[in-house]
Amino acid sequence: MAISLVKGQKIDLTKSNAGLTNLIVGLGWDPVEVTKKGLFGFKKKAEMNIDCDASALLLDANGKLTDGKNLVCFYNKQSPCSSVVHSGDNLTGEGDGDDEQIFVDLNKVPANVHKILMVVNIYQCESRGQDFGMIKQAFIRVVNRANDQELVRFNLSDDYSGKTALIVAEIYRHNGEWKFNAIGEGTHAAHIDLLAAQYK
Amino acid sequence: MAISLSKGQKVDLTKTNPGLTKVVVGLGWDTNKYDGGSDFDLDASVFSANGAGKVNSEKDFIFYNNPQNENGSIVHTGDNRTGEGDGDDEQIKIDLASVPANVEKIAFCITIHDADSRGQNFGQVSNAYVRIVNEANDQELIRFDLGEDFSVETAVVVGELYRHNGEWKFNAIGSGYRDGLGGLCRDYGLSIA
Repeated sequence: MAISLVKGQKIDLTKSNAGLTNLIVGLGWDPVEVTKKGLFGFKKKAEMNIDCDASALLLDANGKLTDGKNLVCFYNKQSPCSSVVHSGDNLTGEGDGDDEQIFVDLNKVPANVHKILMVVNIYQCESRGQDFGMIKQAFIRVVNRANDQELVRFNLSDDYSGKTALIVAEIYRHNGEWKFNAIGEGTHAAHIDLLAAQYK
Repeated sequence: MAISLSKGQKVDLTKTNPGLTKVVVGLGWDTNKYDGGSDFDLDASVFSANGAGKVNSEKDFIFYNNPQNENGSIVHTGDNRTGEGDGDDEQIKIDLASVPANVEKIAFCITIHDADSRGQNFGQVSNAYVRIVNEANDQELIRFDLGEDFSVETAVVVGELYRHNGEWKFNAIGSGYRDGLGGLCRDYGLSIA
């Protein structure tokens, strides 16, 4: 049974799950339904077409992105150390379950990486006039890849209207173990590179 | 060299430091800010309580709107609205020799202002600490770092000074509460909204 977290909560990952090394970090979201005027004035409900992108930033002890390649996202699917791998871009966010997944091999994470920040932003949010007020049921979950067991889940329930990027969570080192921090903060970064620039 | 305490630890203050009367209690914290988030405003407050753990009067709740107790032996030096910069974010000055005899313990708390409406909690606060400095020579006597114990809480009782056999001791409490400053006030016997 997965542990459900609320915003601000921090929880042990490796301490309470001995032998845990390979993680699947699953992120999901659904566009809200809007009523559109269809053909001949009929109204129909439709989901907006919003392209969310999940990314991971490998940060050092000072919270800095020291190597641009340590931004793992849709155009750079693997960190140089190959500890963090993005499984691929999902353009619509339709369907149940994880929309995008990021694989993390904790044993391969270099010693100078202290936290892996998980973020989601909206692709071309400015030109499409989209923000996270148009997204519902966003979540992050961490699964043990060895046995597919879901370890923690965090449902983001705040109102993120006007925010174009979400700092979802971080997996970080603490006293020789890895922990998970449910952050859940919205930011105004319009592009993943702009978001990453805040950590340089 | 200051003594670093762990949660639950109690240490002598006046016994091991003869002649100590005036202390500065410094509280500090850092917040994790994101460009879309609200500002953080953390407040230090003090409850000067009797043997039953209750305040004797409203004046014994020392905070930004009531910066000192009745006889001026406990003084809050002022509100810091941002928590920026190194060192103590807020300080409380105490003249131990003048603390009224009916005060048995002096509790130090950190609370988040407007935590609920701003969607904030101690999960976004890091490096919180309390330290006690001898005002006469600026020597740090005791330090208690709060670590990672808090997440969904909006108020933390950091520690308390208390009388024991005619001396003052310090107890590193480190207990978190979810209902903010209002909840702490009720616990210490104040009926405020």
